Amino acid sequence: MSDISNKETTVPLLAARGLVKEHGRTRALRGVSLELGAGEILAVTGASGSGKSTLLHCLAGIVRPDEGSVAYAGKRLDQLPEKQLSELRRTDFGVVFQFGQLIPELTAVDNVALPLLLAGTPRLQARARAGEWLERFGVRGQEEQRPGEMSGGQAQRVSLARALVTGPKVVFADEPTGALDSLASEQVMAALVHTARESGTAVLLITHDAQIAAYADREVTLKDGVVVSEADASAGSLEVSR
Amino acid sequence: MSALTNDLRLALLLTRGSDRREWWRVTLTGLGAALATVFGMAAAALASLRGHYPVPMANGLLDNAGERSGVILTLLLLLIPVLGFLGQCARVGAVHRDRRLAGLRLAGASAGQVRRIAALETGLACLVGSVVATAFFVLLMVREWPNPPALSWVGIALVALGVPVLGAVTSVLALRRVVASPLGWVRREGPRSGRGSGIIFLGAVGLLVLVALAAVATTSTSMPGKASGQAPLTVCGALLAVGAGAVLLSGLVSKITGRRLAARTGNPAVLIAAERLRDDPWAAARTHAAVLMGTVVGAGFIGVRQALLAEVYGTKYLAEDTSFYVTGVNLTAAAILVGFAITFFALAVGTAESLATRRRGLAAQVAAGVPYKVLGRALLLETALPLAPSLLLAGVGGAAIAVLYASAMGGGLVLPIGALLVPFAVYACCLLAAATSLPLLRRTVRPGELRYA
Amino acid sequence: MSTRHILLGLLASGPSHGYDLKRRHDERFPQARPLAYGQVYTTLQRLVRDGLAEVDGTEAESGPERTMYRSTDEGARELAKWAGEIAPPAPFVTNEIFAKLVVSILADGDPAAYLRAQRAAHMARMRELTALKTTPGSDLATVLSADYALNHLDADLRWMNTTAARLNTLTAEVDAA
Repeated sequence: MSDISNKETTVPLLAARGLVKEHGRTRALRGVSLELGAGEILAVTGASGSGKSTLLHCLAGIVRPDEGSVAYAGKRLDQLPEKQLSELRRTDFGVVFQFGQLIPELTAVDNVALPLLLAGTPRLQARARAGEWLERFGVRGQEEQRPGEMSGGQAQRVSLARALVTGPKVVFADEPTGALDSLASEQVMAALVHTARESGTAVLLITHDAQIAAYADREVTLKDGVVVSEADASAGSLEVSR
Repeated sequence: MSALTNDLRLALLLTRGSDRREWWRVTLTGLGAALATVFGMAAAALASLRGHYPVPMANGLLDNAGERSGVILTLLLLLIPVLGFLGQCARVGAVHRDRRLAGLRLAGASAGQVRRIAALETGLACLVGSVVATAFFVLLMVREWPNPPALSWVGIALVALGVPVLGAVTSVLALRRVVASPLGWVRREGPRSGRGSGIIFLGAVGLLVLVALAAVATTSTSMPGKASGQAPLTVCGALLAVGAGAVLLSGLVSKITGRRLAARTGNPAVLIAAERLRDDPWAAARTHAAVLMGTVVGAGFIGVRQALLAEVYGTKYLAEDTSFYVTGVNLTAAAILVGFAITFFALAVGTAESLATRRRGLAAQVAAGVPYKVLGRALLLETALPLAPSLLLAGVGGAAIAVLYASAMGGGLVLPIGALLVPFAVYACCLLAAATSLPLLRRTVRPGELRYA
Repeated sequence: MSTRHILLGLLASGPSHGYDLKRRHDERFPQARPLAYGQVYTTLQRLVRDGLAEVDGTEAESGPERTMYRSTDEGARELAKWAGEIAPPAPFVTNEIFAKLVVSILADGDPAAYLRAQRAAHMARMRELTALKTTPGSDLATVLSADYALNHLDADLRWMNTTAARLNTLTAEVDAA
């Protein structure tokens, strides 16, 4: 929590200014500015179609905004060539989607080891580290199973392990519990938040579910492509006393 | 009849709303049907002839029963790559089609109705292809061949109608699981493997071989020398056996190298390719069956051609009609090249389709920072790994058959260097065909795909 | 919440004295308001009066003398009856948030601003409860009672979201009346 209190004084890890992004004729983002501090867990909420996912894609350097800037650790992501962006996504960022981020033909442990292999880690070492991460997320004993052979909750915890195995600075999670029941959601979220706090990883969490957003330190709400409210714990209590 | 028009209207309504890839399937299916029609009609027209019959084409090559049966056989063998091509086409947008038909079933359509609509969709595509091909073929016949026997027209009509009917029947057979348990197909991603279509393909090839044998056997009855009638059949059987062996080897190699490499490699591209091979080792064998068959035939042909031409040019007694032999050899070469062209096109379609089906998952990989290069390499390796040893077997086997044939026919022992080059050339072409989908990887596998995930 | 029945329930596992009952109650229901000792004492006396519990002697080892109580057969029957009865679903349909909204419209206030502030307060409370339940080592009782509150707050939030979207219609309706 100390990260939030001094976020005004330190340079944010990730900062977006005036983001605009159009998909065909629809404007998904219409001037969004946002900051994410190191180690901060930020929830972005809003109804479906409010531009949450597009915002995540811009912030993670997956798509380029039409206007505005995204700065990560002093680098302008919107101006970086694709090759460097791809490398940054591999080393400094982790992504968790609702589904699809696991390769169906790869076993759980190989899926988690893949980012390490891409970074040039030898196979055995990569598999050993992947195994440790799977154990941390409570999916030990299922290393050799493929994603299709697991429950949704287990597959999602494998995805978390894959996102976190490289020790990223930021994890981008787009509706990570969207396809899960409430108990599995709780386990996935607890694992994510616990690990992020332990390792000081910042998390940008996209959700439309208030109970999931409540895992974050702070919440930003989007509506029709603009930020309509920002609230953290202190702002909330201020409004109550008024 | 009103039920049929109703189904027809539904079928049209459903296809109109379907996406671009379904139109690709319809177009390519029509193209495949047209090719099948042309080859089938040519074979049927020739098969209607008996004994010596002057055909005003191809330097008198078609005049005698012996050579004619060879040509018929070639035409029928050309149907194998066409069938492979149609098999690949059926997969284009298949997930959407299956989901749509399953949805129709859930919306209250009877099993028979869904079958009829599916049959109509494929049948109409095949009919269009067959009609266009028939029109051109008949025009050509009328111009080049003044008085063909009546029986050949019957054969042509049978093929023109048979192609769409067979297409419709095949599509109904392939859909039996969708019709039986529709719920799973609406919800799931679709079939992981096309084992059903593989069985259909094998069945079709088997049927084709039987037809070819029957055609050769009946048209060759009037030949005086039985030995020369038997030799092509023996060669044919040997080619088929080697081809089947190569396909088997391809599956086994996929299985074994998949397992071995998946356990050991530290290269992400190799790992992905190996795990995909291990997951469905026969997928590669199915896709490459036509390529392997073609390689056996191609290598065998080059060997036989070498021996034959040496004979033709070397000895004097045939000198007066070398053009007869050269035309025969060249026509066969052209047929094999056409077969290869169709096969490589099918391979490119298959690779593109496999990419398009997986594009969401691949987009997520790109979003997670997996470079395009790694995904592209995995795609090529998936083709390259299982194909190498089986192509080599196919090439060597084909060349060996050619050598045996040549020496059995009384020619000297020639070493067919050209035949040994065939597998390498085919290998390069296969990689090229697979590589045609690399630009597609960059174009379709965009993070934009994630929006609908 | 019936303190009588909860105490009867705690007595079901064996005789116990007032202080022990209070301690066990607070331990078992961590998110409930702690019981006052006086309340425990009066409730126990009423249970004895109604024949649902009886005095089981006294205990005086190292400290003040304590009266032990135990449940009677009648008490066990009453407990079983209570535990099997369903709690009335949604006993009240009016709520304070709605009342404030209507009043705010009547008095020409800013109901939308009020809803936003209320929503922020709800979220803040939800974050607190989530932090509580995800604290490593928190027991299941804490997690479950936090979950109960979270789900109710979430229901309020959802109601507020749909209400915020229909505030204009509500304003028109209230003003017209």
